[in-house]
Amino acid sequence: MPGKEGTVFELEMPAKAKYVGLARLMAASIARRMNFAEESIDDLKIAISEMCTNAIVHTGNGLAEKPPITVRYVEGDGFLNVEVRDQGPGFDPAILDKKREGILSKGFGIALIKSLVDEFECDSRVDGGTVASITKYLKPENGGA
Amino acid sequence: MDNEERADAGLDVSLENVGGFSLIHLAGEVDVYSAPKLRETIKGLVEDGNCNIVVDLERVAFLDSTGLGVLVGGLKRVKHLRGELGIICNQEKILRIFRITGLTKVFPIYRSREDLLANVKEA
Repeated sequence: MPGKEGTVFELEMPAKAKYVGLARLMAASIARRMNFAEESIDDLKIAISEMCTNAIVHTGNGLAEKPPITVRYVEGDGFLNVEVRDQGPGFDPAILDKKREGILSKGFGIALIKSLVDEFECDSRVDGGTVASITKYLKPENGGA
Repeated sequence: MDNEERADAGLDVSLENVGGFSLIHLAGEVDVYSAPKLRETIKGLVEDGNCNIVVDLERVAFLDSTGLGVLVGGLKRVKHLRGELGIICNQEKILRIFRITGLTKVFPIYRSREDLLANVKEA
């Protein structure tokens, strides 16, 4: 998954649920400074929350001895890219393309991410960790480029 | 993630009985950290025989799929007992999440506490 270019901010945090809000807060701060509309900032917060939640769950239930997750924010020219990397057991990414089985089945997270951002990528390998990445572009109505 | 302590978890939960419903008022953020608090509240109500539940999301600043999952789990639980689980919400940013996931079709949604009361009187 090639990285995007821009100003980089990186947050390494324990794989614990209580830090997910911190990752959201940092995304909101960067996006607000970039003049994203509040609705877009809400979209970004949800997408990042979903990615971090997945990373924490897959990294091993927040146990103290489990490796941290890394959240990398790239403030680019007209876009914000956020990458969440875990060192968990990984999975077959083909599962992400599976349709949900009924409205009340599990799996709202990926559907939400895909609906709320412009680009979503996920690279995962069994026993090799997972990197999930989203990109949201500034649109003219956002007050951006 | 049950090995984490969640004394407050950034989510305030209070209960009220309104027109035969157990009304759960939430204030704060509902995510992977705080959602267990909501799950336990719903579970406790159902175990005490309260199967008609409404969750007030008006003072919820953030809700993600973990929160939705808890609400869906609660809905399944009460439906199994011929009960109902609805929400109170008039915040577009929260309602959007329900629309995107198709959940507006399965949850009764009230625009306000007054809307809930009006519906209870009509029923």
